[in-house]
Amino acid sequence: MEGAQRETRISAAFVAVADTLTTDFDVVDLLHTLVRECVEILEMKAGGLMLADAAGDLQLMTSTSEAAAFVEVMQLDAASGPCIDCFTSGTAVSVSDFGEETSRWPEFSKFALAEGFHAALATPMKLRGRVIGTMNLFGGNPGEVSERDAAVAQALADVATIGILQERLVREGHLIEEQLHHALDSRIMIEQAKGVIAHSLSLSMDDAFGLLRKYARDANLTIRSVAKRVSDRDLSVEEIAKAAGHKTSH
Amino acid sequence: MVRRTEPPADGVPSLVDALCASFVTELGVSGASISVVSFRGTQSAVSSSDATAARAEAIQFAMGEGPHWEVLSTREPAICPDIDAEGETRWPFFIEQARALGIRACFAFPMLMGSALVGVADLYSTTPRAINDDFVDRAWHLAGRAASPSVQRAMHSAAHHASEESRRAPALRREVHQATGMILAQLGISATAAFARLQGHAFVSGRPIEEIARAVVLGQLSFVDMPDA
Repeated sequence: MEGAQRETRISAAFVAVADTLTTDFDVVDLLHTLVRECVEILEMKAGGLMLADAAGDLQLMTSTSEAAAFVEVMQLDAASGPCIDCFTSGTAVSVSDFGEETSRWPEFSKFALAEGFHAALATPMKLRGRVIGTMNLFGGNPGEVSERDAAVAQALADVATIGILQERLVREGHLIEEQLHHALDSRIMIEQAKGVIAHSLSLSMDDAFGLLRKYARDANLTIRSVAKRVSDRDLSVEEIAKAAGHKTSH
Repeated sequence: MVRRTEPPADGVPSLVDALCASFVTELGVSGASISVVSFRGTQSAVSSSDATAARAEAIQFAMGEGPHWEVLSTREPAICPDIDAEGETRWPFFIEQARALGIRACFAFPMLMGSALVGVADLYSTTPRAINDDFVDRAWHLAGRAASPSVQRAMHSAAHHASEESRRAPALRREVHQATGMILAQLGISATAAFARLQGHAFVSGRPIEEIARAVVLGQLSFVDMPDA
């Protein structure tokens, strides 16, 4: 993506972020938006954002694909891959060609290639010198990520980090780890809600998430709050399907 | 019936023990105890900071009375800053026993994993202890943080894998949570009950919960026509 179009997309990404920084701030939606925007601006194939949990392990917080195989790749990355190296070193890690990787992460490289990923960039998310997670992008073609693109990725990752901190200011007086836990627990709630919706409407988990997200945006609610009401059985799936204009006959 | 898991033999505290101890260091209470709700609906003690905490928890389990049980039914914290306060009428039998142990204040907080109530953190103090919103917020966070690791520890113990428990507790795979959602929709029950059913089936079938969860998510296993555990 070049020139004016690229600049427009970058500006739009920051505007999208600014939009979410309201009193009804939805950190899950913010992180999802950022990863998606970054993937598109850098013309990558997929991306995921990981946050450290109480044990210091990286957990997948959001990704551009909910497909099981992609999630699997991300989880491997968290054990041994560019993502965990980025996390422990606090510096960006880039892979220009998984096919050429002989010594670093042999198993991960194999899985990445099997998923059609030839290049990767892992960018650290830092808060006051402490690495709280990583943003990971995967490309469909081999090639080094340019300095300019790496800078854009870092800038968007920095915004994601500030976004997590911003929610702290809104929820008042809590520490970074509480924000991280809250985000990760939101993910659990979302997964539970996906299960409810997927079963009730015979949808894939991916489509169930899409429906959940659409309903939340249309109703101007956070994804987490909608997910909670679904899992607590305070909001029926029929209601969501109807509001989202989804055909429920099955 | 209380089952207690033993700490690792080399003396290095596991993640769950460290999380339990953090209630004491961060909140300034005298002791803390963590338990999870097992698939049988019974309580399974997972970690205690000291003998008094363990005793107090065991007493609640045996008597079926106390802040712990209030949390299980309300999903809200149970707060008793002074067991001798004028007008304190809750849990008379438990309070009598607690006083004999030197306890003067007790609190209990729900441990939630998403929408599923998976356990309770019981806290006590040997002096009356007034608390504020910061205490409550912090305790909620500490309890939430302990939820997944505690569930994992109890599952490992139940499957006699205690020796394999690592110092770290990788989180449950997302299929487990998705399966919980599917089961709750299939049976029209709460997330809490659905997760318990999922754990129960894993235990009874001798297969890892992740494997059962995957089968549920792939549509290979339905809980609709399954006999109750």
